[in-house]
Amino acid sequence: MLALRDVTHEYLGRVVADIPALDLPAGTTTALVGPNGSGKSTVLRLLAAVEAPSRGVLELHGRAVRSSAERLHARRAVTLVEQHPLLFDMTVAANLTDALRLRGARRVDGRQISEALELVGAGSLAARPARALSGGEAQRVAIARALLLAPQVLLLDEPLSAADRAAREALGNVLAALRDRGTVVCLSSHVLEEAYRWSSRIFTLVDGRLEGMTPENLFRVDLPPGTGSREVRVGPLRFSIVTDRSGPAIIAVPPEDILVSRTPLDSSALNQFPGRLTAISEDGHGRIRLAVDVGVELITRITPASLSRLELQVGTGVVLSFKAVAVRVF
Amino acid sequence: MLADGLRRALTLLLRGDPEVLGIAALSIRVALVATLLACLIGVPIGFAIGTTRFRGRRTALTVLNTMLAFPTVLVGLLVWLLLARSGPLGGLGLLYTWWAIVLAEIVLAAPIAAALTAAAVQGIDPRVRRTALTLGAPAWRVHWVVAREVRFALLSAVVVSFGRVLAEVGAAMIVGGNIRHQTRTLTTAVALATSQGDFSLAIALGLVLLALALTVNVLLHMLQGRGDAGAA
Repeated sequence: MLALRDVTHEYLGRVVADIPALDLPAGTTTALVGPNGSGKSTVLRLLAAVEAPSRGVLELHGRAVRSSAERLHARRAVTLVEQHPLLFDMTVAANLTDALRLRGARRVDGRQISEALELVGAGSLAARPARALSGGEAQRVAIARALLLAPQVLLLDEPLSAADRAAREALGNVLAALRDRGTVVCLSSHVLEEAYRWSSRIFTLVDGRLEGMTPENLFRVDLPPGTGSREVRVGPLRFSIVTDRSGPAIIAVPPEDILVSRTPLDSSALNQFPGRLTAISEDGHGRIRLAVDVGVELITRITPASLSRLELQVGTGVVLSFKAVAVRVF
Repeated sequence: MLADGLRRALTLLLRGDPEVLGIAALSIRVALVATLLACLIGVPIGFAIGTTRFRGRRTALTVLNTMLAFPTVLVGLLVWLLLARSGPLGGLGLLYTWWAIVLAEIVLAAPIAAALTAAAVQGIDPRVRRTALTLGAPAWRVHWVVAREVRFALLSAVVVSFGRVLAEVGAAMIVGGNIRHQTRTLTTAVALATSQGDFSLAIALGLVLLALALTVNVLLHMLQGRGDAGAA
């Protein structure tokens, strides 16, 4: 449906996005996960055809979007709701009407406006001046404005950053409605749990690059002061890691770097945690995905040969091992 | 002398002296036409400089800012040379007509309109353009949305240009020639009446000019207030 191909985007001479390939297929909800400043907003703007990539191309329905007419066509198929959306200096209802008028609509059905606002739980805000709304309210109204345009692809940049409870519920309603309509959704978040909750596909973005690893085994941690090798609390466990950073961070343990054994290993891996297998499934690429409860849930992948050699079943006691340097810090 | 001049000036105004009203009407006509044309030229130029990135943009801004400080008599001289019988536009026969004053005032006011427009659109929140784009607006509507967002600043540019044109004297004197009933504006008439010692007429005209300037400034103040309220 919508894709970036061999895209590099520079800003003031610095590469802010480097995406060899990113596809948003029909019927999917995709999440871009990454810490603040990782380039999520830039990638969404490139997908929305609001910015043209320095190199590479945006594709809509398999066709390159290059000329200004093609870009306008793409912008009418794809709508972006920014993290801090801008509403124009008029009432909430007028903002929605204005969005339709900007596309050349002559007649605007008031019921359509009310329905869009009701869907995000903002029906009571219709007559309010848009610039007097709170951050969460403005975000909901901006989502309603986007829904009114019935895009084929809706891009949501950190849709829960200013969210109150009403906004979370509204987003749930919206995503359900969009699934029914068959709208492709791509949202960005720096909170992995949100990404898991709202989307069917997750990509990790770090420094403008899509990381090859899956965003599994990501944990929000508070790194103690210091440099080099140290321990960090993850739930009830303490992971040995190597980093020069301190303070709040996200750490990731790539599933491919976790060894599975029936007994503790005599190895250089500083992290060894006993646990119990909670799920075994195929990952679609000829490998076996294991979920192991070691106090927190860790995902690892092994070959079918290893699965049979270790005679693993759900409930089997195993030991997971990984080196301190395998833990990545964002 | 001042009190006497003031008393007689008020009498002239209250009586609706045709000389005073004629001069005021011509001044307002010249100022309105010149402001309209100056803004039609200056606002799009300012918009282009403020919103697009092109080679030589910095130079364009420097030229614009230099034009703001152009001495009015120099503009008068340049326009005079253009419109003089032997000049490139001499065949139009515009010298010493009110259109000549309009032309000179356009040269003075268009850079003001352009510079204020460029400053207004340059400082605009980048999300305004992005939002219009992502809502699927075609290019001209994106410009419209940007202009709408800075509408009070644009109106201020118009009002400031009008004030500049209304109060200008040097260029109007040179290219208009201060001809009675034809090119005599409020400012040139004040200068002439003062040099002739007709202080009551000079004060009466000065009061009209002051009232117009005050109106312009009150308007500007109100617009800036609304602009600030809108931005808050």
